[in-house]
Amino acid sequence: MVVVIEERVLGLTPVADADLGRMLRIRHFERALLRLFERGQLNGTTHTCLGQEHVPVAVSGLLDPDDYVFSNHRGHGHFLARHDQPDALLAEIMGRAGAVCNGVGGSQHVYHGRFLSTGVQGESLPVAVGVALRLKRVTPGRLACAYIGDGTWGEGSVYEALNMAQLWRAPLLVVVEHNGIAQSTPTTAQLSGSIAGRAAGFGIPHHRIESVDVNVIRAELEPLVTLARTESRPVVAEIAVHRAGPHSKGDDTRTPAELVAAAQGDWQPRYAEAFPAQFARLDEEQRASIGRIVDDVLIRPASVWERS
Amino acid sequence: MTVLTLAKALNEGLRAAMDADPKVLVMGEDVGKLGGVFRVTDGLQKDFGEDRVIDTPLAESGIIGTAIGLALRGYRPVCEIQFDGFVFPAADQIITQLAKMPLRSLGKLKLPVVVRIPCGGGIGAVEHHSESPEAYFTHTAGLRVVACSNPVDAYTMIQDAVRCDDPIVFFEPKRRYWDKADVELGAPGLPLGKAKVVRSGNDVTLLAYGPMVKTCLESAAVAEEDGRSVEVIDLRSLSPLDMGVIAESVNRTGRCVVVHEAPVFTGLGGELAARISETCFFRLESPVIRVGGFSTPYPPSRLEEHYLPDLDRVLDAVDRVLAY
Ligand SMILES: Cc1ncc(C[n+]2csc(CCOP(=O)(O)OP(=O)(O)O)c2C)c(N)n1
Repeated sequence: MVVVIEERVLGLTPVADADLGRMLRIRHFERALLRLFERGQLNGTTHTCLGQEHVPVAVSGLLDPDDYVFSNHRGHGHFLARHDQPDALLAEIMGRAGAVCNGVGGSQHVYHGRFLSTGVQGESLPVAVGVALRLKRVTPGRLACAYIGDGTWGEGSVYEALNMAQLWRAPLLVVVEHNGIAQSTPTTAQLSGSIAGRAAGFGIPHHRIESVDVNVIRAELEPLVTLARTESRPVVAEIAVHRAGPHSKGDDTRTPAELVAAAQGDWQPRYAEAFPAQFARLDEEQRASIGRIVDDVLIRPASVWERS
Repeated sequence: MTVLTLAKALNEGLRAAMDADPKVLVMGEDVGKLGGVFRVTDGLQKDFGEDRVIDTPLAESGIIGTAIGLALRGYRPVCEIQFDGFVFPAADQIITQLAKMPLRSLGKLKLPVVVRIPCGGGIGAVEHHSESPEAYFTHTAGLRVVACSNPVDAYTMIQDAVRCDDPIVFFEPKRRYWDKADVELGAPGLPLGKAKVVRSGNDVTLLAYGPMVKTCLESAAVAEEDGRSVEVIDLRSLSPLDMGVIAESVNRTGRCVVVHEAPVFTGLGGELAARISETCFFRLESPVIRVGGFSTPYPPSRLEEHYLPDLDRVLDAVDRVLAY
């Protein structure tokens, strides 16, 4: 009964332990990265997905192991929602033994099984179309899923890819994590029209999801994913999110009011309030687990580059 | 005299250029409110307004293409490419339009566009954030390609670049953005196309540009302790090359080492070595030796110290040319 009242108040439904565990794993992973930076144990560029963890967790629940995933600069969550290997990803980012790709790719260029990321905006989409076409021919029903940000809709390669995907009926799921900002530039200052309108221009089905509830997102995504699989065609799922952290590190230009709004849009405190017991249990579990992983990876030797 | 970092010197140079000519525009991703990732355009939007300092969408091809159009109608756009590795979506516009239109029209069309690119590694960042793509552009006829190495040059070179009627690719040494020097605001500098002897010596000539000039100066200082007199030339202009200054030096020393961060294979060092062998053949005491990066993608931060030329590698090359 208690749950029902909280649902009404907060508009959230209870999420399975496995999903919440993954969301919290990603959260603690990203926080650990920022701490490592602060302590000077990690350097370079990194983009955390704080506030956006639920999206890849929702999406991954609908993906088949044979589907391909194309990720971007903000890709740790995309990887961890699909692969339960936070130690291998951390080792990759830190260049330590046991790294997903021997520490060659770092944070933004991960290649693992059917997961591929690139830090150059828009670059992945045409490649995803190619992979989708191959999947269509060889394993009908499988798709390529590409995550991109709203800012990336400025890049021309996005449109070349969408045109070809629709023309050639490529089973492509484009997941747009619409956080309303690209680095420091708000979407209103860089996107004319709308993503829906742009998809419509190519005759590509589009659906925008406003919820931060994994169950709702999944339910709304499902028909689109099914369409891509059964009719072999591209679809665009636009999911409204909030970037709870900086773009990279210490480079947030948003006003205090904007930061408050972003924090309010974050799924995590809302979920913690709605389902405190489950949250506390899994939060502690993941905090401890990531803590152990950080300690372990920190004392590993450097990764070795070997051609296979 | 004012003590400025290289980034601030560029900022002051841009400010002076914008003050001097209302047709000068600044455009790029996050150049406005953020002032650019390296804060080179910090405060310019506040002072010159959103019409002259323009935050663009993420659209490198569109940025350069738009700048070309603006330049066709009399503006002087200064475009910022956020990081070296992100210039490639714009390569089409730079190589096939910006470089070629003035040539095709036999100079009737002027395209005074400056494409600013933070370049090189050494800041612990990965691929796309640490690369040295200058050779792609020096290989393109119709572009001037320049690289500053210190705050004093940065301040004057950016102003000269904005004033110049040719399209210019302007490389900024990322890891030297925070280096400081005394800069005389308002003072002119050496013309844009000129190389500069930044340390005199008689035994070996070191040729470098951008981030490697400092490395070479440090190497020359160490070499001096071993009784070796090393001359260091900052090329400043990568295309065209100031062969006069280079040949004068190499004809005197008879030995030359070229140092750049970019991979050695078909890098600028190859062209320099060839030109020196053509111009200084009878004075050369040894082959020209190149020190540079390897033919791999730029490695993650943990490995960059192995990739980037350092004192040891430069001094080793000096030893090798002296051993002939
Ligand atoms: C071609 C290219 N240009 C510039 C950049 C630098 N950059 C990295 S992330 C980013 C903003 C991306 O915005 P968006 O697509 O909305 O994703 P978000 O960062 O909000 O997740 C920029 C400009 C890049 N990675 N690639």
